[in-house]
Amino acid sequence: MGNTPRATRRYSARSPLVGYLLRRLGTSVLLLFGVTVVTFALANLVPGDPIAAALGEGAASNPATVEAYIKERGLDQPLPVQYANYISGLFHGDMGTSLRTTQPVADDLAQAVPATVEIALLAIIVSLGVGVALGSLAAYRRGKISDQLVRVFSLIGLSIPTFWMALVSFNFFFLQLRIAPGSGRLSPALAPPPTVTGFYTVDSLLAGQWVTFTDALAHLMLPVFVLSLFTIGLLTRFVRTSVLEVLDADYVRAGRAKGLSGPRLLFGYVLRGASLPILTIVGLAFGTLLSGTVLVEAVFAWPGLGSYAYNSATSLDLPGVMGVGLVVGVVYLSINFAVDLLYGVLDPRVRLA
Amino acid sequence: MRTKFRYVAAAFGLTASLALAGCAAAAPEASDSIVIDTAFTLETSDPGRNYVPTGYMVSKALYETLLDFAGSDESTPVDGLASYESNDDATVFTFTLEDGRVFSDGSAITADDVVFSLNRVAGMTESKANFLMNGITVTKIDDMTVELSTETPSLKLPALMTNPSLAILNSALVIENGGTTDDSDAAEAFLNETSAGSGPYILDSINFESQVVLTENENYNGEEDIDFTRVVIRNVSEAATQKINLEGDDSQVAVDLSGDQVASLSDGINIFSTPSAQTIFLLINQSEEVGGVTANADFANAVRYALDYPALLELAGAGSEQATGVIPPSFLGALENGVEQDLDVAAASLEASGYDGESITLEYPNDYPVGGVNFTPLAERVQSQLADAGITIELAPAPFTTQIDSYVNGTEAFSIWFWGPDYADSANFLPFSAGQKVGLRAGWTAEQDTDVVNLAAAAENATNFDERETAFSNFAEALQQSGPFVPLIVPGSNIATASYIDGVAYNSTWTMDIAELQAK
Repeated sequence: MGNTPRATRRYSARSPLVGYLLRRLGTSVLLLFGVTVVTFALANLVPGDPIAAALGEGAASNPATVEAYIKERGLDQPLPVQYANYISGLFHGDMGTSLRTTQPVADDLAQAVPATVEIALLAIIVSLGVGVALGSLAAYRRGKISDQLVRVFSLIGLSIPTFWMALVSFNFFFLQLRIAPGSGRLSPALAPPPTVTGFYTVDSLLAGQWVTFTDALAHLMLPVFVLSLFTIGLLTRFVRTSVLEVLDADYVRAGRAKGLSGPRLLFGYVLRGASLPILTIVGLAFGTLLSGTVLVEAVFAWPGLGSYAYNSATSLDLPGVMGVGLVVGVVYLSINFAVDLLYGVLDPRVRLA
Repeated sequence: MRTKFRYVAAAFGLTASLALAGCAAAAPEASDSIVIDTAFTLETSDPGRNYVPTGYMVSKALYETLLDFAGSDESTPVDGLASYESNDDATVFTFTLEDGRVFSDGSAITADDVVFSLNRVAGMTESKANFLMNGITVTKIDDMTVELSTETPSLKLPALMTNPSLAILNSALVIENGGTTDDSDAAEAFLNETSAGSGPYILDSINFESQVVLTENENYNGEEDIDFTRVVIRNVSEAATQKINLEGDDSQVAVDLSGDQVASLSDGINIFSTPSAQTIFLLINQSEEVGGVTANADFANAVRYALDYPALLELAGAGSEQATGVIPPSFLGALENGVEQDLDVAAASLEASGYDGESITLEYPNDYPVGGVNFTPLAERVQSQLADAGITIELAPAPFTTQIDSYVNGTEAFSIWFWGPDYADSANFLPFSAGQKVGLRAGWTAEQDTDVVNLAAAAENATNFDERETAFSNFAEALQQSGPFVPLIVPGSNIATASYIDGVAYNSTWTMDIAELQAK
């Protein structure tokens, strides 16, 4: 060791952690390239005529309109050239122009992604809090009535169709009880706050618009509640299983024998030991929340990534579909990358593997 | 154990706090505002490039056209920004602008604005609305008069001039912001942020995925007397959500409710149900190569008379009607009565057709309800009814985006499709003629039925409205007797509003005129 500072050694080019990071980064870049190839190929192989779908009956029967449309969007080029143009555009932040909205896909996604991230982030925080609490409770009280209740609750959360739950909760909390606001991200009388992050709650706070903040937060509640139910069910069951496994481990028994109990034992020993598998499932759940909110967004008229993906796919808006595919790919790769990093931080054996 | 419970309680506490935040916020009230929920089809707020329903609804509120329709009556155009006269040959139409009309910036509307606006659409070949100006020449006569001429008689031209795509723009303002009358036009970005028209509203803000906000045009001096000075049009794609929002007073108008949803609305909601301008029909291919046994008029006749139309209509909701022909009831030339089931005629026709019990595939889009009519139960009922008449049907559903290719390319032997007008005129239904676009999709060439071709030509070239109505009726009648199409249902259009709102009038192009909505 000598006098070499520890930090210098840890982050040098030869450090296992840096090497691990570079390997993971390289893999992610390759995977991202694969994602662009797959989304481009799939989007261009689906049956159907996107030009007719975009132009409609009247305009599509006008050869001059069709010709101008094709030429303007470069659709007359061979597919490899179109792909090369697409990749070249991506390097310049250009994801193409949506055939459906006629706006740049990047602009559309810049509005849709924050809307989805806002509910997904809140949903994963709520799910994590409730899921860990319930899962731990069930594990600690294995076989007792509280364990049974938690397991039934988690099963219900996993089993209820999200679309149905969204409609029922919207009807019940908004129409019957009148304690939740209507659909959308804000009440119609309010204007969106100046865009900084795209999160209405954060942006309204930054702008000092308290009424807008309260309204935006209120509109988040039902979608978050519905989205959380499934994830809570998933996490609860997973945490229960993981905690049960750890509870029987020697080091936990040793900790207990030393007189540790309560939060110190739970957070210092049990959850720490169970954290790796929980981390994996949280990462996957977050990815699913970000990319799979189509039905919830439809019910709550939430202008997010799910709605954009559905509308793009059903109208054969290929640039839109490719944009969504790319975003979802980046999201999953980023989450996997982050999870891998955390693995490396939590368990040094991983970075040496 | 008490400590463990504290953590569980904290988690529940967090959830409860968030829920309470939800309770704290209530939608602010604004009596002069109105919220309209609809499933968006919106691409631009440049009227010259617009060609989709929500876009038309927005354009109709922001801009005016030379002519208009009064309420739901789409049979005869009435004066809009101008009145018109035509020559006896119906080839020259002279429009005289109303005196004193101004744009939202206060500047006067002149013939130059009309010439620029119409020629801009004609010049933008990439615009979806460009075809509306095909064959029309625009000439300024004086500051308040414009002449539109065509080479052949065109009694559809007045109806075309009601289309919001042909709205009159403030030419000076649009030119200043990149507007031209050729393909170099670059005014769309400007028109997506600001309106440059003379309609009762101006554009406040627009988000193509979520909502459009309109506010009162304080310089408007037309005939509309608007009650709502602020209009929010929201994208609510799920009709069930539209219904709940309306019942919960979060919105005041719901545009896309199905017949079933309308039937279950709570008390105190106004419902405006009327037949739409869409026709759902069966296509029976007349090409032997494609259709095989279906490729003869007798087989089409057998299908036509084998069906129990009232039973099919049960699948549609409020406002729907049996299709009396390819032309829906609100249009010139629509037939009074539809075909009635006659199993004897069906049996005789089937025998004459040479059909020998072969299984025939019925194709249809299964993810694209039209006016609330889902094609899957409709196809199943058609299958059942035809089975009773001795025709064996095999169902072949597919998503709309994949199914439409084979329909457009004319490779379907037997299918269910729909047709809606691009503009409010019966000429929109002439493509059903032999040798025309829809006719060819059914393998029906001009040579196969020259009588129908001549009837279509007579309707197209009529030079007065009485002659035209008769010609269209004759065309529709001939199609009912010998065409390869079996019109089934004209689905309803259902617009529901809060109890204090009146003035809803369905229009096949712009759905409804927002400026006509009135508070009782």
